[in-house]
Amino acid sequence: MATDRIHPPLTPAVLHILLALSTKERHGYGIMKQVEADSQGKVNMGPGTLYGSLSRMIEAGFIRESDKKTDPEMDDERRVYYRITGLGQKALAAELQRYREVVAVARRKTLSWNTYSYVP
Amino acid sequence: MSHEQSIARYRNVYAKLVRLHSKPFYERFGEGMEQTFSDLLQERAEKEGGLFSFVLWIFVETSAGIIREKFTLLTKQNKNFIRIALATAFLLLVPLIAMQVTDEVRWSPFDFVVAAALLFGTGLTYELVARRMGSIAYRAAVGVAVAAALLLVWINLAVGIIGDEGNPANLMYIGVLAVGIIGAVIARLQPQGMARALLATALAQMLVAMIAKAAGMESMFILNGCFAALWVGSALLFRRASVTGAK
Repeated sequence: MATDRIHPPLTPAVLHILLALSTKERHGYGIMKQVEADSQGKVNMGPGTLYGSLSRMIEAGFIRESDKKTDPEMDDERRVYYRITGLGQKALAAELQRYREVVAVARRKTLSWNTYSYVP
Repeated sequence: MSHEQSIARYRNVYAKLVRLHSKPFYERFGEGMEQTFSDLLQERAEKEGGLFSFVLWIFVETSAGIIREKFTLLTKQNKNFIRIALATAFLLLVPLIAMQVTDEVRWSPFDFVVAAALLFGTGLTYELVARRMGSIAYRAAVGVAVAAALLLVWINLAVGIIGDEGNPANLMYIGVLAVGIIGAVIARLQPQGMARALLATALAQMLVAMIAKAAGMESMFILNGCFAALWVGSALLFRRASVTGAK
C-alpha cells in the first residue's frame, strides 16, 4: 500500500513505454515499434497517445530526453532519443510488483486461465 | 499519384494539425511527431499500400491528443482562477460578518462589487505576471507591487490620502499607478526594466505628496513614504531577480 502512495498505478500507455525504454534508449518511432512487438501487436499506439504520454512522463520525471542522434537502421534525419530515469525504473518496478500481486491473488483463487471462470 | 507524393501531401496536412498543440508542446515534440508520422506512413506504404484509412485513424488519434492536451492546460489554468475567486470570497466574508455584529461597518452591494473586482483583479494580475518567471525574487517583487497598488486604490476609495475620499487631488494617484503600468509595458515585464519602472513609481508617489504639500493640502507624508518604500522594495526584488538571471 505504501508503494501505491509513492508510485501510483500507471496507465497502460505509460507502462508499455517504460517497458520499451527499460532495455535501451529509443526515439518515438522506435518506442512505437517496441510496444507493438512487446504486446505482440495488441497495442497500437498513435503519435497523439505516444507524445502526449512522453510529455507527461517527462514532467513526472520518469524519462528524459537523451541526445539527438541518427538511427543507423533508418539512415535519415537526426532524432530525439528518450531514456528511462531512476524514478521511471522504480515506477515500472512498482507497477510490475502490483501485477505480480494480482496474479498471485488469482492463483490463490484457483482461477482457470483458459475459461476465466472460478473453479469451485 | 505515387506513394511518395501521397506521403508528402499527408505529411504537410499532419504538420498543420500538429501545430494546433500548445506552443511549448509543439516546440518540444512537433518535429518528432511529424517524423514518426512519416515513418509510419513509409512502413505502411511498403507493407500494405493502402494509406487513406490509416491516415484517417492517425488524424483522429492525434486530434484526440490535442483536445486532451488543451483540456489539461485549461483545467490547470482554471484551478488558479478558482483559487483566486475563493480567496476573494473568503476575504469579502470579513466585512459581511462584521456587518452582522456591528453598525460601524456599512457596506453597500456596490462596495462589495468594487472590493470583489479589486481583489480578484489583483490576484489575477499576480497570477498572470508572476507565472511568467519561476524566480522567487521575481514573484515576491510582483506580489509587493500588486499589493501596494491594491492598498493605494483601496485607501483612496475608502478614506482618501489627500484630505478625504471626495478630494479630487486624490486623482493624482491614478498617475502614480499609470507610471507603474506604462513602465511595466515598456519593460515587457523583464526584471531589469521592471526595477526601473518601480523606482519611477516611487518617485511619482513622493512627487504627488510634494505637489499636495506645495498646494497647502494635508498630504500624509508618512503614508506616502510607506507606499514609496513598498515600490522601492519591489524594485529591489526585481533587481535581485535580474541579477540572479530570472528568464
